[in-house]
Amino acid sequence: MCMASRTKWWVPEMGRNNLRTVIGFEVGRTLGKKKFWFITLLVPIAIGIVIALVSLGNSTAASTIDAQSDAKLTFTYSDASGYVDPAVATALGGTAVTDDAVAIAGVKSGDEDAHFVYPADPAKTPTQVYGVDKGLFGNGEYEGVATQVLIISAQDQIGDPSLTALAQGSVSVTSTTFTDGEEAAGFMGMIPPLVFLLIFFLVFVLLSNQMLTSTLEEKENRVTEMILTTLNPTVLISGKIISLFIVGFVQVLVFLVPALVAYVVFRTSLNLPEVDLSSLTFDPIQMIIGALLALGGFALFTGTLVAIGAVMPTAKDAGSWFSTLIILMIVPLYSLSLILSDPNSPVVQIFTYFPYSAPITAMLRNAFGSLAGWEAAIVITELFLLSAIVLQLAARLFRYGSIEYTTRVSFKTAFARPKATSTAQR
Amino acid sequence: MDFAGTTVVEDLSFDVKRGETFGFLGSNGSGKTTTLRALLGIYLPTAGVLHIDGRPFTPEAGSRLGYLPEERGLYKKESVLTVMTYFGELKGLSKKAAASWSMNYLERVGMADKAKARVDKLSGGQQQKVQLGVTIMNDPELLILDEPTKGFDPVNRRLLMDIIEEQKRAGATVLMVTHQMEEVERLCDRVILLKGGRAEAYGTIPEVQNQYGGTMIRVGYSGEIPESPHYEISLRDRNYAELTLIGTVDEALILRDLVGAGVLVRSFTTSKLSLEEIFVSVYGEQNEMVGA
Repeated sequence: MCMASRTKWWVPEMGRNNLRTVIGFEVGRTLGKKKFWFITLLVPIAIGIVIALVSLGNSTAASTIDAQSDAKLTFTYSDASGYVDPAVATALGGTAVTDDAVAIAGVKSGDEDAHFVYPADPAKTPTQVYGVDKGLFGNGEYEGVATQVLIISAQDQIGDPSLTALAQGSVSVTSTTFTDGEEAAGFMGMIPPLVFLLIFFLVFVLLSNQMLTSTLEEKENRVTEMILTTLNPTVLISGKIISLFIVGFVQVLVFLVPALVAYVVFRTSLNLPEVDLSSLTFDPIQMIIGALLALGGFALFTGTLVAIGAVMPTAKDAGSWFSTLIILMIVPLYSLSLILSDPNSPVVQIFTYFPYSAPITAMLRNAFGSLAGWEAAIVITELFLLSAIVLQLAARLFRYGSIEYTTRVSFKTAFARPKATSTAQR
Repeated sequence: MDFAGTTVVEDLSFDVKRGETFGFLGSNGSGKTTTLRALLGIYLPTAGVLHIDGRPFTPEAGSRLGYLPEERGLYKKESVLTVMTYFGELKGLSKKAAASWSMNYLERVGMADKAKARVDKLSGGQQQKVQLGVTIMNDPELLILDEPTKGFDPVNRRLLMDIIEEQKRAGATVLMVTHQMEEVERLCDRVILLKGGRAEAYGTIPEVQNQYGGTMIRVGYSGEIPESPHYEISLRDRNYAELTLIGTVDEALILRDLVGAGVLVRSFTTSKLSLEEIFVSVYGEQNEMVGA
């Protein structure tokens, strides 16, 4: 084996930061696994299959409807109301009759496609439609034609398209409200800050298990003792957290890109509503607060999960703590109506300032405009400060817990060794 | 070193000189691994200091340190080459250099075909070889080996000892914990024997032999061996006896005393106690030789 000439023991480059190496290793081995891609791609593939099926179904239905529309519908009708304009009915394929029983018999025998019976007061009494069965989509055409005959006849009698539209309730209203003399953003201003809540939740759901097991792996594989002699545990844990964030970002991209492509390409065939982004209102302060809350929440929960992983001997043992953390995180969602209606209530205030319920509560209140600037400042400071403490705690627990391979490390035991852990900080 | 009120290592002082191979010996629970962990900053002593090259160890210096812990383990789901390359990078090599070094090493230990195999698909001995490779990457200045031959068959044990000797020849300082006394006698310049967390014996092997048991005289005789303050009769048969000398005594003086006492001496040979004999005499009979 080639042995290079040995250099001096203490040389400056030995103290270099291994953070990049850890991130490269962690990200590389996660993204390099078939299992990761299988699980990650499962959702977009499932969405793709659903889109394809819906698109195919819509296309087939549209073809069927078009084909049926192309075939001229002929019908008979009787009008007790006097509202039906014979010219309109004739233009749509109708023939007026007086004997409903004979006409219905004609439909039964298949001599006529349909027969409509307009009552004396169509606004109060239903119009009766009889027709030859054409299946789910085809049968709808009868009602459509019967209704069209009445609407067009009525429009002709009113004579003014605007009045007709008003009579039909086609009215649009634009609201403008004011807060402290400034125009309030309204509902469209709530959506952008809520995106951070969605991202936070999505990333946590996708990555929480990896957060929990990231240090357990070193422990279960008995590899930490070697790691601790080559790497500062704070660097290792920071590297793992950053790697998780990168992996989460990749997963979100894998989810979102197909969804966006599907929306752009298949929006029409899927009958999806067109989203008018110009109507959204972006409040820079709200957006910054939302981003900081999401980031602080992510750091706090990740650090805590890593610390739990460092304390517990196996993933199974860590499970109960993990569940508790999840409950603490999502419990504000069960008080959503209270958060909306009474943000100053004691329950909402507790949720706002308790660190593990704070991210979601504060992000909701931020979006709904009920989180004051000073409240946001306190929560954000609290989240980042606690994250830093938890990160140091996680490093300390990892350092000591790494060599407690089969037993759970108690906080008391870990803190009873201030000297033994102090080198980790150097 | 105290753990929950229990003193594990106490009043221990030793030094390892640059370039030497130092044996760390002791029975189960004597404090060897605890001392090594304290040396590497995993534990810090309740009192006292442990220095490497004049200062406490920090992980940042780990690139020039090769540590083979008693509790072995690697990233089991990764390939051998991936794991070795990762540790190589952490020890300061470039990715390319680490991968190249790893392939050379795997070839050397007959595992080149296992480079892309997952670690958990290897046998225990093969995993040990990979672990040793990780330990000696980047030509460490200091090798700390906690029971390096544990789990190796005789063939691979010889290979491992060759590699350690090679490191030693290249200038590495080696500190090793072992229960294999023949390895100690073959490799170590100096040793320390721990018992109950204290140094029981410390020095070069001849010094320890002198310090702990000294010289043994095997005598074939007729007559009656007299008691003497200069030796202890370890074994007495009808025509054969083993005398363990107490302190530094001239063997010729013993022979003259025996002859003077009317003993007909038929044979008279002297030998030093082996380390194993010293170990057994210090720690008592122990069937299991596992780490502390």
